[in-house]
Amino acid sequence: MLPSEGGYAGIGPNFVPGVVAAGLLLLGGWLTYEAFSGGWRNAPADDPRERGEHPFHASSFGWISAGLFAHMVLIGTGGFVLAGTALFGCVARGFGSTRIVRDAVFGLVLSLAVFLFFVKLLNVGLPAGWLAPLLGVAGI
Amino acid sequence: MEAFDALLAGFGVALKPINLLWGFIGVTLGTFVGVLPGVGPALTVAMLLPLTAKLDPTGALIMFAGIYYGAMFGGSTTTILLNTPGESASIATALEGNKMAKAGRAGPALATSAIGSFVAGTIATVLLTLLAPLVVDLALKFGPAEYFSLMVFAFITVSAVLGSSTVRGLTSLFLGLFLGLIGIDSQTGQARFAFGVPELLDGVDVVVLAVGLFAVGEALYVAAYQSRLTETMEKMSSSIMMTAEDWKRSWPAWLRATAIGFPFGTIPAGGSEIPTFISYATEKKLSKHPEEFGKGAIEGVAGPEAANNAAATGVLVPLLTLGIPTSATAAILLGAFQNYGLQPGPLLFQSQSELVWGLIASLYIGNIILLILNLPLIGIWVKVLTIPKDLLYAGILVFATLGAYSLHQSWVDLLTLYVFGLLGFAMRRWDIPVGPAVIGLILGPLAETQFRRALSISQGDATVFLTQPISATFLAITVALIVLPWIVRRVRRT
Repeated sequence: MLPSEGGYAGIGPNFVPGVVAAGLLLLGGWLTYEAFSGGWRNAPADDPRERGEHPFHASSFGWISAGLFAHMVLIGTGGFVLAGTALFGCVARGFGSTRIVRDAVFGLVLSLAVFLFFVKLLNVGLPAGWLAPLLGVAGI
Repeated sequence: MEAFDALLAGFGVALKPINLLWGFIGVTLGTFVGVLPGVGPALTVAMLLPLTAKLDPTGALIMFAGIYYGAMFGGSTTTILLNTPGESASIATALEGNKMAKAGRAGPALATSAIGSFVAGTIATVLLTLLAPLVVDLALKFGPAEYFSLMVFAFITVSAVLGSSTVRGLTSLFLGLFLGLIGIDSQTGQARFAFGVPELLDGVDVVVLAVGLFAVGEALYVAAYQSRLTETMEKMSSSIMMTAEDWKRSWPAWLRATAIGFPFGTIPAGGSEIPTFISYATEKKLSKHPEEFGKGAIEGVAGPEAANNAAATGVLVPLLTLGIPTSATAAILLGAFQNYGLQPGPLLFQSQSELVWGLIASLYIGNIILLILNLPLIGIWVKVLTIPKDLLYAGILVFATLGAYSLHQSWVDLLTLYVFGLLGFAMRRWDIPVGPAVIGLILGPLAETQFRRALSISQGDATVFLTQPISATFLAITVALIVLPWIVRRVRRT
């Protein structure tokens, strides 16, 4: 529970959260009412084909999510470059690419370029991870 | 004349070789990223924010002004050639621009859009220079109650008045307001909604929210619903030269559009969507060739593009003088200021006069760079458009994750990014606008501070917002904006 002492203002740190919560509840109710009385107003068609799109492609959604999770796990251990390569490959796959080698090479080159640009030119620290010895040998 | 001296000093700052270089890099990168299909100005600015982490504030903000303008111009190139408006402000351009491209007149369409953006941008910057000191004088008289009421006004215009649905706009706004509450309360130091996660104590960063909603959400949506569609791109015609007839028809459209766009940008009315449509309708009505509309009339490109740029410059008036962002892009720019501990507003004009006027001066310079850069380089930007979608989105996500990770060097921010990506996907799927959420996140905490300050001063008397005349006026206009359309609809029905 958030404290409510308010000092001179008479309201504390819990007041605005209360207002926002009340607003969200009210809006939720309003949207529910619209949904049960003829659907949301001015909303796009439910059928993707009517919107000029294809039906929901679950594996694409899955590949992109997998790429982001792989990146999350890898960045602390494998480093920025490997995490970026994995992410790049998974996302390209999610968009229907089947050229795994091409995607891996593109991903590696892009991530390495970004890594060098940030670390060398902008002085922003990024983890080198497993590639640290290799990057070290190359004088980077 | 005081403003004129300040502006001259500003040019002194902006014309320093190093700042000129940052401006140049900003315009180039902004255009390059803005050209990428599916990347609007808001996402461009958010993705390029980490680049400035180690710059001094003046250089960084000058670079940002360049990115802002570059992104706008890049977006119109994409719209004309691909017919995929990256943002609502480009829809009007797409109507005629893509038709012109289909008729083999992509060159003149891009030229009128580039030159029109320059003309409108420059005139609007002059207006900004003249108007800003006046607004600053007015704003210095504002107390917390006035600020709070003005922010409420901005909240309502950007969420409830614009867009396809009032309730969905407000829902987005309140989601943003909720996210803005996460972290340490600036008044008492109390942690709110952080659930003991240290990364959340700093609050939700605007870059993570914007990139999550715009980049991750968009990637998930396009992959799931559009990745197996094929798209056609219009060929660039060989010449970008405009004929004498084109010039004659473009000029008046540029000027009229500037007159429409700038005022709309300065009032908190959600940026440039409305003025572009008003400009389109005006040109259609006044044109001597109304039969060409729908088949590629050049006025239909010249007008909306100029209106878009004039409004984008107008948006900087409330942003710089009052600290109130009225578009998602402006909210991210405000976030960039806050990263440097700067709070835009009337006081910034006094305490950081060099920085503010340097920024304004760099807007003039940015417009010129944009014009010089874009006409000859259009061929390169067109090549950028041919990057296949799979590589394009893969690259975008590498940059998106970089922006989030570089905040605390922590995977927690990456998880937050993914959660916002899921939210962005759902909002896109069910047509909930994302702009109000970004504005709510940035403006919410500022509004809360002013609200509580006002109540502290009045010793807890809540009527202070109604008894102060300026504050009461803002609130009255806000109520009128909500109630009037509703009454009009009622009356029409009966």
